[in-house]
Amino acid sequence: MNPVLDGWSIDGATAMHAWAIATAATVAAACALVGTLLVVRRMSLLGDALGHAVLPGIAVAVLAGGRPGSPFVFAAAVATGLLTVWLTRLVRSAGSLSDDAGTGVVFTTLFALGVVIVTAAASRVDLDPSCMLYGILELVPFDTVSIGDLEVPRGFISAAVVLGTLTTAAIATWKLQVFTAFDADAARAAGVPVAAVTGGLLAATALATVAGFEVVGAVLVVAMLVVPAAAAELLVRRLHHMVLVAVALAVVGTCLGYLAAWRWNASAAGMIAVVLGLEYVAAVVLAADDGLVARGLGRLRYAWRVLCEDRLAAVWRAEEKGTAATAPVSLVQRLAVGWLRLTGRFVGRAGGLALSSAGRREAEMVVRSHRLWEAWLGQHAQLPLDHLHPPAEWVEHHLGAAMRQRIEAEVGAAGDPHGSDIPPEA
Amino acid sequence: MADAGSSAPPVVEFHDVTVAYSGRPVLWNVDLTITEPCLFGIIGPNGAGKSTLLKSGLGLVPLVHGTARFWGRPLADVRRRVGYVPQRETVDWDFPVSVMDVVLMGTYGRLGWFRRPGSRERSLARECLDRVGLIDVADRQIGRLSGGQQQRVFLARALAQEADIYFLDEPMAGVDARSQEQIFGVLAGLRSEGRLVVVVHHDLRTAATWFDRVALIDMRLVATGPTAEVLTPDNLRRTYAGQVDLLQEIGQAVAARSRTT
Repeated sequence: MNPVLDGWSIDGATAMHAWAIATAATVAAACALVGTLLVVRRMSLLGDALGHAVLPGIAVAVLAGGRPGSPFVFAAAVATGLLTVWLTRLVRSAGSLSDDAGTGVVFTTLFALGVVIVTAAASRVDLDPSCMLYGILELVPFDTVSIGDLEVPRGFISAAVVLGTLTTAAIATWKLQVFTAFDADAARAAGVPVAAVTGGLLAATALATVAGFEVVGAVLVVAMLVVPAAAAELLVRRLHHMVLVAVALAVVGTCLGYLAAWRWNASAAGMIAVVLGLEYVAAVVLAADDGLVARGLGRLRYAWRVLCEDRLAAVWRAEEKGTAATAPVSLVQRLAVGWLRLTGRFVGRAGGLALSSAGRREAEMVVRSHRLWEAWLGQHAQLPLDHLHPPAEWVEHHLGAAMRQRIEAEVGAAGDPHGSDIPPEA
Repeated sequence: MADAGSSAPPVVEFHDVTVAYSGRPVLWNVDLTITEPCLFGIIGPNGAGKSTLLKSGLGLVPLVHGTARFWGRPLADVRRRVGYVPQRETVDWDFPVSVMDVVLMGTYGRLGWFRRPGSRERSLARECLDRVGLIDVADRQIGRLSGGQQQRVFLARALAQEADIYFLDEPMAGVDARSQEQIFGVLAGLRSEGRLVVVVHHDLRTAATWFDRVALIDMRLVATGPTAEVLTPDNLRRTYAGQVDLLQEIGQAVAARSRTT
């Protein structure tokens, strides 16, 4: 495949690359659009199944005289895709199999049938098995039709038609797709034609898969369907945002992947899928709420707050008892003390460390939370005295003023079970 | 079956309804008539077929035989006037939609295939959210709600359908006491507006005070009528320690036979 790529760059025929990129990006956008609904419906593997199962349809259509990439072959592939869905249901109910097993049985069998047909007929027709697996993106720009002065690749035209059709259908029926995906029973009860809506999604999946099949092949089309949508699900919380983010990730990933393949002289389809995978990893790391970075920062911030509050409370308790506070021992504790002095909550030097009025208020609220919780547990959970301290040590960092008020109301006048005073609310 | 002297068809009528899952009957020959709007409880033990009865009325499970009619007409004629609140666990609450999005779904049946919810639907949805006390969380992702709040979102969605009959499947299950009170308040409000509210419920203590009429179900109809008359020790014994073992075995035998022939 790659001699072709080399040839272009030597000739500097950038237009060829531009057409290939445009075609791949269009297909990727169509796949991401459909893939979003598949991912939220937990049907991602269906794309995998269809990507493989359309092979015999294409092979038979080509044997019957269709030219690869022609509308006839395209239609045959989509029809095979829908046949797959129907067969899957049949196998499932006939053999009382689970969903995924039924899908697995059907798509592997059909794919194998396709492989047999393609290899047996390889001498008679122009079908390259490896093109089926890895796609023919690099060859797309050479098969063109003239539109006015412009030589437009056939592959781009069919991709654009598919994307246009799917976008129109998605805009028109979006609300029904969402209702069915979220709660099929309620949708059916409300009169939504659930079977037709799901059938529409499956037909759309078949269309997108076949478009992707021609460009990136049977295996990697799954990446276009699933990966951008899965990454988008991590990044945003609303379905209509998710679909836009998925399409954007798919288009950007495709362009970057193609350029990288061009630069390092690798398979474009393979590189595109790798870049999409990297986008997913980036989403895992960077996602705003649940990303690794956000979670790590959240934990660090929490640990630091606990450290500071514990220092403040230690000094306050020492004052209450009239003893000297235990000096900070570890490095982080000393750092915390430094920070508290810098922010004006401690005054004086180490050794003679004292609370400022702001620091005192904060410390009192920590101690108040601690003792209120001990009191509540002692009264309402009937815990022995030695069981009270550890949970309070934990909970003291989490109670707001309103919560403390409620606990105080339930504890009443009883006070701290160890006999200390509970500081009043600030 | 209808009250003597009333000529109007009953609001809901299940006639000889039998339901089977993959050949195994789970609900036998239920005749159940609800003549007028009220708060109606369907009560019975786990696995009694309470939810199945509800779903059979809504066309969500196929009937082996029998009919379910509303105001004397088949469901297809009156679908939009029948609202449904499924069990909370039947959906994925991590689904990327907001509370408002879910409530708007209640208006979709009316909007048909292509029309989008507009300002009328939005203000209706806000009203419904207000009614269940969730207007403050309208823009929140549904997964960030408590169980009770999630149940109230479902209720608000059904309200947005502006139906005349409401079928609710275990709306009080796994819900905190405050949400329970709030949900019951909304249901009582629907009744006073002249709507019929049918609730699948498993808690006998609350059933006795909440419902005007009840049906006791245990794979077959045990008894139905005004709550105080139906919830007798004798009926409860027949519901909760009745002939179910026999019915289950017969069901299994039927299923085994239908598989081999």
